[in-house]
Amino acid sequence: MVFLFTFFSAQISFAQQDSDSTNYFSPNNRLKFGSYLYKDKDYLRAAEEFKEYLKFSYDDTVQFKLANSFLKIGRYTEASDNFKTLFLGSSLSEESRLMFFESNFFLNDYNFFRTLTEKEIYLTEKYSREVDRLNSITYLFDNAKLPDENLLLKPFSDSAKSQISAFFLEKKFPKYRSVTTAVLLSTVIPGAGKIYTGEIGDGITAFVATALSVYLSYNNFKNDHQFRGWLFAGLTAFFYGGNIYGSAASAQIYSARIRFNFESEVKLYFEQRNYFLPRIDY
Amino acid sequence: MKYRHFLLTVVFLLAFEVKGQDNLTRQLEFANSLFSEGRYYDAITEYKRLLFFDSAGIYQYKVDYRIGECYKAGAKLDDAIKSFSQASKFAKNDAELFDSKTQIIRSNILRKTTERAIQLCTELDKDERFRTKMDTIIYWKGWAYMFADDWANAANTFAKISPEHELRKLSEQTDKEKVSVTFAKVISYILPGSGAIYSGKFLSGLMSLGWNVLAGYWTINSFLENRALDGVVVGELVWLRFYRGAIQNAGNFAVEKNLEIANKSLRFLQNEYKGTKP
Repeated sequence: MVFLFTFFSAQISFAQQDSDSTNYFSPNNRLKFGSYLYKDKDYLRAAEEFKEYLKFSYDDTVQFKLANSFLKIGRYTEASDNFKTLFLGSSLSEESRLMFFESNFFLNDYNFFRTLTEKEIYLTEKYSREVDRLNSITYLFDNAKLPDENLLLKPFSDSAKSQISAFFLEKKFPKYRSVTTAVLLSTVIPGAGKIYTGEIGDGITAFVATALSVYLSYNNFKNDHQFRGWLFAGLTAFFYGGNIYGSAASAQIYSARIRFNFESEVKLYFEQRNYFLPRIDY
Repeated sequence: MKYRHFLLTVVFLLAFEVKGQDNLTRQLEFANSLFSEGRYYDAITEYKRLLFFDSAGIYQYKVDYRIGECYKAGAKLDDAIKSFSQASKFAKNDAELFDSKTQIIRSNILRKTTERAIQLCTELDKDERFRTKMDTIIYWKGWAYMFADDWANAANTFAKISPEHELRKLSEQTDKEKVSVTFAKVISYILPGSGAIYSGKFLSGLMSLGWNVLAGYWTINSFLENRALDGVVVGELVWLRFYRGAIQNAGNFAVEKNLEIANKSLRFLQNEYKGTKP
């Protein structure tokens, strides 16, 4: 009797374990495997496992991990949509709202981001300062009209304010070079436009080359070498025109370089500080 | 009674263990089928799932090796090398160890980290366990030399397998067809344009020679007419410009020609060669 009882108990117990141990695709096993992949930073595969798990059973932590997986692999729209589902009735609501803003911030549509921050339905009480900081950062990344300096600096700590204030001033008063000024300078004195854009060596070379070709043209005409005279006259026109065009291009390149260096510096500064965001994970 | 009870428990546990292994085998078959269909991303997921549930590590080597193959097929060579290295740690015998090591060499060849591939070949070469696999080691070393654009060394390496080896002939022929960059430059110093002609750029070479003759004439003519400044300026700005250009071009054309020859041989290896490829 005891033997039979033990036999059947064991059978029942095995049968319960069986469904999980034999089916690697059961919801529980998918969750286990997904969590392992998530820890291993294989977020794309983890997201697929979490998605399958959520078809059978709802768990807000898993939903959060799914959204965060999308955020980690740069699928920001899907991340944002998934964080949004946790806004109501979840203990992770506040964190999800912050991550929702984070996802939208990385979409690089800063105008849209600022519109979102104005919608009260999305706002978070716990992380309002973090969202305000992201909002301020957006003004440094796009060409929107800058707000008042104090307003932009308000959400940042005192230690960060001086650097961000420097960024603000650089953004407001960029040290660009005017294309028109460069062209006019080179028209009057060949090479002057290049010197204006910081290319001193090029400017002097352009001046010397133009002057020499003028002299050679004049000297060859004077000595009755018509072909060589016209050849150097053509060369002079080429140097002169080329220098004006080169000065315009140089001014554009100068300004683009200033803009690129500024954007890179700002991006690096905030990336190194994780955009002043807390690291949230479960 | 005690004996029967014990026996029954053992039978249950064994049955459970065998059933577990069956699941792993089924999972391996499933992953292998995805691999065969060329669905490498999905295959990696299923291999990883197998590894996760294979707590005893029965399939560790096999699965890491296959994951490496998947990454290699998807040209993710850094990841492939990581997986093959992982597999080599779990190799159960010398044959498995050798296979995983050669896969690391082959991935390095494809990744063009040929120095590392040659270094690994040398290490295998010195390993007493792989004495019987010398031809394979030499073969991959030859491939590494070919990918390193060192066709002379490749020919010498393949010759160690057999003087009649198809790849020895190909390497030797490629090496012979290649032109000398230094020679192209040196003859251009003597006669501008000749380096370009030597590299197969006849029109460029003749034009270069023509420009140099014309600019040289203008320079000399200016001096003859007692216009020294004209002579210096034309000589510096025009003649020397063409003269230096001819030398630079000769070098560039020779490099370009060598690249074309090497690419032709590599294309043959990719499309027509029937032997084992990295």
